[in-house]
Amino acid sequence: MTLPLILLCVFAALLELDTTYAFQTLLSRPIIAAPIFGWLTGDVAAGIQIGIFAELLFADVSPLGGIIPPSGVVASAVPLFLYVQGIELYFGFFLGVLGAVLYSFFDALLRKTRFKWLIFLEKRIGKKPSDITRIILITLLLSFLMSFVFISVLVWASSQLMFILYPYLPQQLHFSFRLAYMAVPWIGLAALIPIFRLKAR
Amino acid sequence: MSLWLRVNMFFRSFFLQAGWNYVKYQNLGFALVMLPFLRRLYRKDPEALHTVVNRYLEAFNTHPVMASFCFGAMARMEENIAQAHSVTDYKEQVAEWMGARRGLSITAASIGDRLFWGTLKPLTLLLAIFIWMLLGVNFLETEISEVPLSYALSAGAAAFFIYNAIAQFVRWEGLKIGYEADEKSCFGLTRFDWNRTIYNAKRIGIFCAAGLILFGVYRFLENKQPDIHFVARSILVLFFVIASFVTRRLRIPNVYLYLAAVIIFSTVCLI
Repeated sequence: MTLPLILLCVFAALLELDTTYAFQTLLSRPIIAAPIFGWLTGDVAAGIQIGIFAELLFADVSPLGGIIPPSGVVASAVPLFLYVQGIELYFGFFLGVLGAVLYSFFDALLRKTRFKWLIFLEKRIGKKPSDITRIILITLLLSFLMSFVFISVLVWASSQLMFILYPYLPQQLHFSFRLAYMAVPWIGLAALIPIFRLKAR
Repeated sequence: MSLWLRVNMFFRSFFLQAGWNYVKYQNLGFALVMLPFLRRLYRKDPEALHTVVNRYLEAFNTHPVMASFCFGAMARMEENIAQAHSVTDYKEQVAEWMGARRGLSITAASIGDRLFWGTLKPLTLLLAIFIWMLLGVNFLETEISEVPLSYALSAGAAAFFIYNAIAQFVRWEGLKIGYEADEKSCFGLTRFDWNRTIYNAKRIGIFCAAGLILFGVYRFLENKQPDIHFVARSILVLFFVIASFVTRRLRIPNVYLYLAAVIIFSTVCLI
């Protein structure tokens, strides 16, 4: 992986913090994150397309209670980071969506395991309340590192896989991936009506 | 509550979910937000502060924006606990505090989920798509055409500012209202007609979504010759729209519909 790509992964991991752990200003939602990634990788129009497609596809999943929706940052970053390396958006988007779904399982695992070490730190907070700021900072740093590792590994593995497989991919596969990619905005649009369904006041 | 204290709690509230876990949820963030207030309240009794903080480390879960109502209300009730004149009064106040924390967090979460995740977020998505469409971006076609940078960032920026103008207003005001209001007004939650706001916003949303779909259909049919490719594509689009409705009813997220479509298409094409 090149240095600019590593820096982009750092930026993506920082944006991922906005999804849950810090701020929640929705800077990490695909319609905002993807055009920024597109601008940074040199193709803003591809960024807009990925942003709209990813956001429409994930529109029907909200972070209610303990539900973790697929990561909008991963779904935006992976296709654009692969696109800049010459891999078509329809392949990148599939890998990005797959990565986003995997990331939600990974995040769920982190949240489950986090309590095991937080219980020790809670006792420390009980004795010295001022430690809480430091503990929160450590938690944020760990979340950032985990996201960075996940995104970097995913981008690296996806690009390696595509570089190896690409010359052998039959035209039929290009066609099928493009067909499914073309359907994404329609799938998303159809989901918007039930989202705004009016219930009894 | 002084302005400085309110600013401090407001800033800390952005980190409410920093230690989110499946056992006690936002407990660490809750303690982090309340700490400046508790420090000020118990500055003459640092030993009591340790016991009080442990109470804030119990399970807590609500919507991150609406949580500010809980912070304000809990701060007011903590003042009553600090002023308890007997052990019995103290126990009663603590029991009341615990009941209010639980009840208020559930109510605030319900409102926040419906208002912010269920309405405002998709509404700002529609706004961004409409802005891009007005600027000439056809999001229904997969071919990519040149777009100026200002066009690209303007729609996202509009969605970002509108969402945050409302969210940060509620976050900021919620602290004050929650602190000033009492139990009778459900700690300030009844000051706003949330149901009516959500209902009206959803009504706007459904009109905009229907408009967007109609526009999509218009762009799809525009200047198209009714040849075999067009018919095949129309059938495919119709199939996905129906499939999306069906998966929604079956509570299967759309993302799995897309992944399944890729796998099925690839299998069929390879066979």
